Amino acid sequence: MTENIHNVQPNIYKPAIMKIVARHDEAPGVRTLRLEFQNPADHDSFMETYRTGMFGLYGVYGEGESTFCVASPETRKEYIECTFRQSGRVTSALANADIGDLITFRGPYGNRFPIEEFHGKNLLFISGGIALPPTRSVIWSCLDQREKFGKVTIVYGARTVADLVYKHELEEWLERSDVELVLTVDPGGESPDWKHRIGFVPTVLEEAAPSPDNCIAVICGPPIMIKFTLISLKKLGFDEANVYTTLENRMKCGVGKCGRCNVGSVYVCKEGPVFTAAEVSRMPASDL
Amino acid sequence: MTKILFSDKLDNCVERWKKAGFSVIGPVQRNNISTYAAVERAAELDLGLILTERSIKELFFPQSEPMLQYTIKKDSIETKDFLPPSGQRIIFGARPCDASGMAIDDPLFGWDYKDEYWFQRRNESVIVTIACTQSDDFCMCTSLKLAPDSTKGSDILLRPLENKRGWLVEEITDRGRDAFKAIADIVQESADTAAPLAVVEKKFDLDRSVAWLQNPENFESRFWKEISMRCIGCASCTFLCPTCHCFDIQDEGDTYSGMRRKNWDSCSFALFTMHTSGHNPRSTQSARWRQRIMHKFNYFPGKFSVNSCSGCGRCSRQCPVDMGITETLQEISKLSQ
Amino acid sequence: MSIEEQYRTRAKELLAGGAVKMVIGYGKGTTGERRRPIFITSPDEVERLVLDEACITNLSGYLVSEGLLSDEKRVAVFLRPEGVRAVNILAAESQLDSDQLVIFGFDVVGNEIKALKGIHVEEFADVIESLKESAPGVAKELLLEKIESMSPQERFSYWQGEFAKCIKCYACRQACPMCYCRRCIVDSNQPQWVNTSSHSLGNFEWNIVRAFHLSGRCVECGNCDRACPVNIPLRLINHRMAEEVLGTFDHFAGTSKTQEPVLASFKKDDSETFIL
Repeated sequence: MTENIHNVQPNIYKPAIMKIVARHDEAPGVRTLRLEFQNPADHDSFMETYRTGMFGLYGVYGEGESTFCVASPETRKEYIECTFRQSGRVTSALANADIGDLITFRGPYGNRFPIEEFHGKNLLFISGGIALPPTRSVIWSCLDQREKFGKVTIVYGARTVADLVYKHELEEWLERSDVELVLTVDPGGESPDWKHRIGFVPTVLEEAAPSPDNCIAVICGPPIMIKFTLISLKKLGFDEANVYTTLENRMKCGVGKCGRCNVGSVYVCKEGPVFTAAEVSRMPASDL
Repeated sequence: MTKILFSDKLDNCVERWKKAGFSVIGPVQRNNISTYAAVERAAELDLGLILTERSIKELFFPQSEPMLQYTIKKDSIETKDFLPPSGQRIIFGARPCDASGMAIDDPLFGWDYKDEYWFQRRNESVIVTIACTQSDDFCMCTSLKLAPDSTKGSDILLRPLENKRGWLVEEITDRGRDAFKAIADIVQESADTAAPLAVVEKKFDLDRSVAWLQNPENFESRFWKEISMRCIGCASCTFLCPTCHCFDIQDEGDTYSGMRRKNWDSCSFALFTMHTSGHNPRSTQSARWRQRIMHKFNYFPGKFSVNSCSGCGRCSRQCPVDMGITETLQEISKLSQ
Repeated sequence: MSIEEQYRTRAKELLAGGAVKMVIGYGKGTTGERRRPIFITSPDEVERLVLDEACITNLSGYLVSEGLLSDEKRVAVFLRPEGVRAVNILAAESQLDSDQLVIFGFDVVGNEIKALKGIHVEEFADVIESLKESAPGVAKELLLEKIESMSPQERFSYWQGEFAKCIKCYACRQACPMCYCRRCIVDSNQPQWVNTSSHSLGNFEWNIVRAFHLSGRCVECGNCDRACPVNIPLRLINHRMAEEVLGTFDHFAGTSKTQEPVLASFKKDDSETFIL
């Protein structure tokens, strides 16, 4: 499902300018930026359209643009956040940016998690490593309206303790009585005082064995983790139509024109990034 | 009696159009290549070419286009939009395959987000197409259910006369009608007849090929590796193709000022889908060739109800290793028998 | 037996006996005058092989395709003398092991096909030597003479006009056997050494960088020239660079598989001592 802005500006490739108002190091090489729109009209038009699941193109003039999800939930209207790993030209420039610096943003683009369809249901969030940001956006969108949903279970793991992101929020979730957070690290990644699980996410998921009844699952992670997690979910009795995931492809324009994110008959920037597992299974696996 | 434009009056037409504020563009031979370029006089046009080597797409979607100039100051960023230069244009002497190629790309450039770079140029251009009386071994418009006298994408269709003295004028759109008002007294009523059109044999069965492509079982077929073994990944086919439209966005300049540009890109390039992590979904040339064919004849028509190909044949004509869409679809037609 | 038939028979023997896993040669093209590269893996396919004066493309570039020679099996390939020189260079630059190749050498003299004797790269040393001897005196084509008679400004202007046509398709690079870099300098974006745009600067940067990277390595097979979709006479630039290298360093690309690349080696008696 798509809700797109029919962009009224003459230039659909022109970004909005954002100021970095906060930055936080989540893990080695992983940074979160909190951004505010410099132009109130840009802010308003964004907040009117943005729904959890949509992504943006964050950039630095002179370097280029990079695609990340909007990591903040649709329920928070003062700022947006993104979390990224420093790996290439643009992310290095973003990592070098300080509080007060200006960066560019285009969005929100893409489709959304159909949150109203989750009302009254139990929610199971499964994520790994640097892929927590898109899940986190959905998690907060739901927790900010907690009464609308049933049981909320989060299964999250990373390679090592240091690689866990949003550590302060993980602590918050651990303390909430209305959320069950199952935290794990890969075998060998634990610290001496690690109190939580040790094991790969799909294994830990099967141990936790959440019930598929009236439950929606949201998985975000590297392709290999999604593959094995889907197998585990099937074992637990989940139907592919009730499992949601996000796909990431290399993008440039974000608006369905440059062709780069096209996989199978789908343009990830227009008909995604949110897909059900059933939709993903219809895409050519070797082109993903 | 029909409307005829005699070719010895073409210079007058060019003058009239220029007076009316149009620039006149048409097929020319310049610098050892045939392309579409602006002309001052009719004599500069080469209307005898079967098809220009470079396609009409460059008039609407140039290889490199400035979009935004940026200047980074201490507490602010200033930008200046660069939209295409405004100006009415008459493109005289396009071929039906080229004109239809532009119509094929319209739905993509207007898909929810309107690309003004494309539409400003489209809205300011009148396409006067000349039907083909000759073709070569590489033409394949009829295989795409088009024809040497297709009107798709054209504002006026001119049919060459049998006596070679000019063209029969067919008005297709209001835009074409309006543009020809400027030469209303030059166009005459006459009984001259049109020359026979080029006979372009069908090279492959389109419906059968598309059905084969739509079958998900054929995605992993060994056929893809075999058909593309000799492909060198050079992108000539995609760059000369009137309907290919993939592009890249590049910032050129330094940390203080520069230009954000839109440049052609190609799914044939190895790095097209490369993720920063090093994962490349289409890491072999055969996967990339498959994407090209699937996109043109399966994914694009799935969204926009039209194949992303106008049968101009440039891909096959130019390929350094004699590949092209024609061969692939011919082989697929055979496979699906 | 014509040379075409001789080579077909030999290809059949090699494939049937398992001596080679593949034969890379020429087959009929879309039209009568065209030939296309074909890849034969079974002895029954040898009838598809064609050998005549239309077989011009240098096939040596396929030898460095990813994974082709990595199983240590042998591959047979049809090559003209420039192709053999190309193999020597690729071997000297550690891109392939020429012992994995069986070469079906041929040359086109006028309208006749001549078979070149030998199947290993070393056996063509005389052919290459004779090419080197005749190199400076090779009949010049009209366009080359015209450019050489221009003043430097006129020459620059000429090339500005030619490069203005460039659309950065990189067909020249893809067609060239010597352009085998997994990541070309234009693909680098930290920093972006060469602009990808096809404006004047971007085009000059690309074409001149490529000409320099090829000096002393280009075998003048003409693949780049034929591949260019906008008819830029690339062969002339590379020919001129090859002439310069021959004159200054007495270096003829590809005379042997141990020949060091001229711009990547230093001898004590080189005329410029800046490196010391």
